[in-house]
Amino acid sequence: MIEFTLDGRPASAQEDELLVHAAARNGVFVPTLCHDDKLDPYGGCRMCVVGVEGSSRPLPACATRVSAGMVVSTNSNVPQLRKTLTEMLLSEHLNANPGGRPNELVDLARELGAEAPLVLPDAKREPYADRNRLMGYEPDTCILCNRCVRYTQEVMQCSALSLEGRGPEARIVPTWERSWLDTECELCGGCLSVCPTGAIYEKFLEGAGVEERQLEQTKTTCTFCGVGCQIDLNVDPETKRIVKVTSKPEYVSNEGDLCVKGRFSFNFVHHPDRLTEPLVRGEDGELHPATWEAALAAAADGLKGVIRRHSAQAIGVLASARLTNEENYLIQKLARIGLGTNSVHSCEAT
Amino acid sequence: MDVLRLATVLETLPRERTRLLDNLGRLRREVGPITPELSDALADHMRLRHGDVHEVTSFYSFLQVPVDAVRVCTGPVCDSRGGREQLGAGAIEVPCLGHCELAPVVLHGDEVVGGVTYSTNDGASLGLARRDETLADYERRGGLALLREPLALERIVAELSASGLSGYGGAGFPTWRKWEAVAAEAGPRYVIVNADEGEPGTIKDRYVMELRPHLLVEATLLAARALGAMEAYTYIYIREEYATARARLTAAIEEFRAAGLLEGLSLDLVVGAGAYICGEETAMLESMEGRRGMPRLKPPFPSQVGYLGRPTLIQNVETLAHVPAILRNGGDWWAGLGSPATGSPGVRLWSVTGAVARPGCYEAPNGIVLRELIDGYAAGLVGEPGAIVPGGAASGILPPAALDVPLTREALTEWGCGVGSAAVQVFPKSYAPLRLLAETMRFFAEESCQKCTPCRIGNRALHHVCEELEHGRAAMSRRQVEEWLDAMTLTSICGLGQAAPYPVRNAFERWPELFAPLGPATLGEPASA
Ligand SMILES: Cc1cc2nc3c(=O)[nH]c(=O)nc-3n(C[C@H](O)[C@H](O)[C@H](O)COP(=O)(O)O)c2cc1C
Ligand code: SF4
Ligand code: SF4
Ligand code: SF4
Ligand code: SF4
Ligand code: FES
Repeated sequence: MIEFTLDGRPASAQEDELLVHAAARNGVFVPTLCHDDKLDPYGGCRMCVVGVEGSSRPLPACATRVSAGMVVSTNSNVPQLRKTLTEMLLSEHLNANPGGRPNELVDLARELGAEAPLVLPDAKREPYADRNRLMGYEPDTCILCNRCVRYTQEVMQCSALSLEGRGPEARIVPTWERSWLDTECELCGGCLSVCPTGAIYEKFLEGAGVEERQLEQTKTTCTFCGVGCQIDLNVDPETKRIVKVTSKPEYVSNEGDLCVKGRFSFNFVHHPDRLTEPLVRGEDGELHPATWEAALAAAADGLKGVIRRHSAQAIGVLASARLTNEENYLIQKLARIGLGTNSVHSCEAT
Repeated sequence: MDVLRLATVLETLPRERTRLLDNLGRLRREVGPITPELSDALADHMRLRHGDVHEVTSFYSFLQVPVDAVRVCTGPVCDSRGGREQLGAGAIEVPCLGHCELAPVVLHGDEVVGGVTYSTNDGASLGLARRDETLADYERRGGLALLREPLALERIVAELSASGLSGYGGAGFPTWRKWEAVAAEAGPRYVIVNADEGEPGTIKDRYVMELRPHLLVEATLLAARALGAMEAYTYIYIREEYATARARLTAAIEEFRAAGLLEGLSLDLVVGAGAYICGEETAMLESMEGRRGMPRLKPPFPSQVGYLGRPTLIQNVETLAHVPAILRNGGDWWAGLGSPATGSPGVRLWSVTGAVARPGCYEAPNGIVLRELIDGYAAGLVGEPGAIVPGGAASGILPPAALDVPLTREALTEWGCGVGSAAVQVFPKSYAPLRLLAETMRFFAEESCQKCTPCRIGNRALHHVCEELEHGRAAMSRRQVEEWLDAMTLTSICGLGQAAPYPVRNAFERWPELFAPLGPATLGEPASA
């Protein structure tokens, strides 16, 4: 631990800790927009600048590491600078809410009482429409914080989004302005999840028009594969239906990152064809609801019948791709010891 | 696109990411303007992702235009001399082509329309008036002796320190300290020459490279030897528009190689692709590493963490070019070339352009009085002067009343200006200060790399404010403008955004009547860092 001074009071930090984290642990909140703990320090939006004794200019707390004896101030001109920077961003922020995702710039503006003194004549960007059905992008919401692009490069390594050009025409756009579907994108939605303004948003019909912050969250585990990503099912409080899936950086197994299945494939939950209880086919050839005991007994009887009539080698076991290692171990146990067959396979292998 | 040609060229291109810019430049020259298809093909060849190559390609102005495109300079000097009238169909606008003494300037492919003439003098340090054609010419004037019998690093640093030489790229950092700092870091070390000369009005580095290329090569090799650089550790980053300088340097390097003077060393050119910001040293490093040329956060400085993370000496062309004279004749001798009146040591190249009788590039003492520079070297003013820019776009704007000011950092600070890259631009009275200001802010807005908010948005807003003022309208109040200027000065990442407010503040002070529509000025000192 090292000692430093924060707004005139003694404070402590870990060696080499980022100032923004050290300040937060010592009770001083420093606003950030372009910073993301998953990404390398960037220091672009400048919202987090703080005064540091000995430096002629304020420094970005998101990219400055605390050193022993450092004297840091978030007073004097820092509040005015934050307000001015917010005004600047607002002066080209033509669409504050394209898809109902939270907008940290708008939050900040409200907190600081900042308003755009003018609308830049070149604020309007070229519209972008994408034929994919999952993610939308509204250029007029984007603050060019470059978080999405850096995520695609540093975390997902798809580089499917670019900060294109220089000067006033610069913009964020998928590779050569193609549809996301025609780039190296896998539709994991990670770039969407790090966007602080909601410029990238879920564009499916579920939940359309409901603010993300109005949704009720239930934490659970993604059932699609053995990775076991932690997810939040976001439920519309009115209809009680799941309308989107999110995740949080503090979730240990996946740190908020998901794949296309975990993030976007949830509407099977409410599908009319979904099985919600065991069914057993009766003498009449139709499926009838049954208890688990009865259903398992029927399956066991069927398997035993095959062994009796054709030997155990006639049975093959195909395990679901959704199973964990431990479950796969049990499956092969069941196949080899219980059923007596070596024909066991996981469809994940293909 | 010629697919067969593409396949043949691709095969010869190296795969290291550091060669991305170079590869794009070669594809453009040998196959055609970079299209999405070409970009993807190169990405596949280099095993990069398509988006990585897209980002980089789109950062530069020239990669997507044909090599024989017509480029018209709309920098302030050319603009004041009718540059925009040269804009025909298909021509592209370029902010300053570095030939301002010939304004208005048009490039047809690599050729300057109307040809190039030089106007310079035979200064004691650089002797530009006599052009070296061959290495033998250079050697006859005393060149190469230092390379053949190298001085110890300590001695070099001592002479540089005695000379008072400080960087001529714009920032003015004492040169000896940089050499010392780089030498203090563990090797291997890189040496990079900044030949990206893009500051509007600045033509001096081109004069050095076109007239005395061997001098620059020797100076660079001296630095490389002194700092123990090895093969593949020394580069000259040169702007794409300087085709003649590029050819002269390439030929000079070959002569050095043939003479056995490159033993254990190499000297390679990296050719830019049209982006002023790549002259900023850390943006240059990013560009050389195959990424968008966006400045890094400092510290760390390049002398500690530079090219590919190694300690790197980055020095402007002209700065290096003075080093041989200093080492040959001694630092004290060189310091004595300065102006006794102001106590400024040494000489530098002044690019004097605009409304003067003999625009050109002249070696004259540091600290020379503005009027003396114009009268004694550029043959005097033509017509009545209006605004005068002392040292490049970000150095500020002087009124004609400042003609008797010595061009020292101290004296210019009192006028809210700086010496910058010593690019003195004299505008005629008929060229309205507001037009100059609007053009300057447009330049900054268009060249902003977009990394940080204050520069990205501030310059666009100020450009708009100036344009509106030309019609007597106020887009923002004076108070708001001043708050925005403060945020730009204090929170921009690099010199572009930090210095952009200077000309606006100067104009506030010198021509207050132009800003009356914005309302009253606020009390209090503007922020300075
Ligand atoms: C926006 C910007 C543009 C610059 N352009 C150039 C340039 O074209 N040539 C140059 O030598 N230095 C340029 N510089 C200064 C370099 O960052 C660096 O200070 C210089 O190359 C160091 O060399 P010196 O110490 O010999 O001047 C620029 C700086 C900024 C902020
Ligand atoms: S959705 Fe995922 S794969 Fe697609 S661009 Fe965004 S981060 Fe990359
Ligand atoms: S889309 Fe979002 S994350 Fe990407 S730059 Fe714009 S605001 Fe930032
Ligand atoms: S399917 Fe995707 S989101 Fe779900 S657990 Fe597996 S990796 Fe995670
Ligand atoms: S000041 Fe301008 S050019 Fe420099 S890093 Fe910021 S946006 Fe880029
Ligand atoms: S959050 Fe620190 S600069 Fe953007």
